[in-house]
Amino acid sequence: MAYILQQLLTKSAKAYPDKPAVWARGQSITYRELDERSNQVAHFLRQRGVQKGDRVGLFFPKCVESIVSMLGVLKAGGVYVPLDPQAPSDRIGYIIGNCGIRILITNAERRSALAAETVNTLDCCLLVEGDSNGSGMVAWSQLSQFPSSYAPEVTLVETDLAYILYTSGSTGRPKGVMLTHQNALTFVEWCAEEFHVRSDDKLSNHAPLHFDLSVFDVYNTLEAGATVYLITEDLALFPTSLSNFIEAQGITIWYSVPSALMLLLLHGRVTPQKLKSLRIILFAGEVFPMKYLRQLAEISTTSDLYNLYGPTETNVCTYYKVERDRLATLEKLPIGIACANTECFSVNPEGQLTKEGEAGELFVRGPSVTNGYWADPEKTKKMVVPNHFQEFFEEKMYRTGDIVTVGDDGNYYFQGRRDSQIKSRGYRIELGEIESALLSHPDVREACVLAVPDEVIGNRIRAVVAPHVPGSLGVLQLQQYCASRVPKYMIPELIDLCDELPKTSTGKIDRVKLASESVVAR
Amino acid sequence: MIESAEVKDRIREYVLEEFAKAKGINQITDSEVLTKNGVIDSMGIFRLVAFLEETFNVRIGDEEITHDNLESVDAIEKLVLAKSKK
Repeated sequence: MAYILQQLLTKSAKAYPDKPAVWARGQSITYRELDERSNQVAHFLRQRGVQKGDRVGLFFPKCVESIVSMLGVLKAGGVYVPLDPQAPSDRIGYIIGNCGIRILITNAERRSALAAETVNTLDCCLLVEGDSNGSGMVAWSQLSQFPSSYAPEVTLVETDLAYILYTSGSTGRPKGVMLTHQNALTFVEWCAEEFHVRSDDKLSNHAPLHFDLSVFDVYNTLEAGATVYLITEDLALFPTSLSNFIEAQGITIWYSVPSALMLLLLHGRVTPQKLKSLRIILFAGEVFPMKYLRQLAEISTTSDLYNLYGPTETNVCTYYKVERDRLATLEKLPIGIACANTECFSVNPEGQLTKEGEAGELFVRGPSVTNGYWADPEKTKKMVVPNHFQEFFEEKMYRTGDIVTVGDDGNYYFQGRRDSQIKSRGYRIELGEIESALLSHPDVREACVLAVPDEVIGNRIRAVVAPHVPGSLGVLQLQQYCASRVPKYMIPELIDLCDELPKTSTGKIDRVKLASESVVAR
Repeated sequence: MIESAEVKDRIREYVLEEFAKAKGINQITDSEVLTKNGVIDSMGIFRLVAFLEETFNVRIGDEEITHDNLESVDAIEKLVLAKSKK
């Protein structure tokens, strides 16, 4: 039984050395190559001083080297931090500083996009692509001088950190969710059992690697000795290319946010033939509208469809296997029941378990739950709380902030949030983070950011801004300012300028009034 | 017949004004891969196609919405010119 993630690779590299493990942009590497190259990365990192628990950043577009790097960092005893290759340099600089990354695996182009003060904090950059003609840069080809047949010796236990995933933070800065080997493996082992992933399976990886959906794609592939196909932007943005790809490669397991599947249905010219190879379709990250789920079920008649639910802090904690005979009558898709080795309960504002029919906040306990946020004990205390239902010893549980009910069918149903977190294209977004970005502009006096519901992508982002001097700010100017602070998917698509925001009787910004104003979405 | 240079200018201007500038990018070259740096996202692709159809009076089928046809200003121009000749 594996207790650290890299053991999944060691096992499959022995069993299937010549099988392709990872495919990306038309290239693939075998299990033997993945094992050997990640050993070399690990030895390189150790030589550069990486010790157990040290954070190593990954900052480049998805490619075969992404997976080699993730495993290389783990084998060195380090903790990898996947960084959004499209995020603004200010945000990347913050994350690098926040978790103390000293070694960055990147490419020449991305490295040059970083601010000089960020580069100055780094000891070294390993470049997966591009010239390394500068101090502190090492070319990928130089890894060949390091041992490939064995990994460095490092003592690790399952409660050691494996990776940190940064998500949107309500106070204006992203927060780093710390995940251990055990957190990840609890989920991976449940998936292996539930979905019976086999060595002849071909899994797609649609989600970016800084998004926790990718944990299934990568590690369940390694667990089963299967092959993972990394979907890069040249495929992801083009629905017909994507449906042709599924057919041509014979993808058997698909996992993505529902909006990716909806684009495929709306514009991908999908036919039963094109999706014939799929035996399992998983989706998570946002609500899948029933109308589109029914369409998907009609086109992919033989696949098992699963709605997976869970925040990054718990990975997937509940699941619902779509019952095809209920599809016609089901009004709302359940988030289902707790996964193995995970317990969920719904708690009312008084801290008691909810009664039948009552809505409550979903709490989660078990080995998949995070220890908290990197270098943020305050936020950790708020979200990872003592389990007061446990009488005899101390234990933690995670409060999701999601309001749920339990249906007559025994399934949990998602009802909404208790705060201002939203989902757009499956990305988790704190509206407060965007408000902080806008308010940091010297000419902005007041700002309120709202979600505008959208059938396909979940929500669009709209901001209402009052400048200090009326007429002094333009929409484009504000969007550009946001672009330097938040990821592209968080930039408000619509910005309304006004002299003053409406207030409630207590003097707070009247969000309800703002939300009810008619909005013409593009 | 539309002039090649005019087509290119209008495409570049649209991509710049509609997508790039709002994302903090003030300049794009004609050969730059627009999908790689996040200038255009998955919904943007369809807004771009609607713009091309309207502006240049061409019809672009779902099967033609591919990376090769839309990856850069150069590629988009080539697609529009090929379509408008038909």
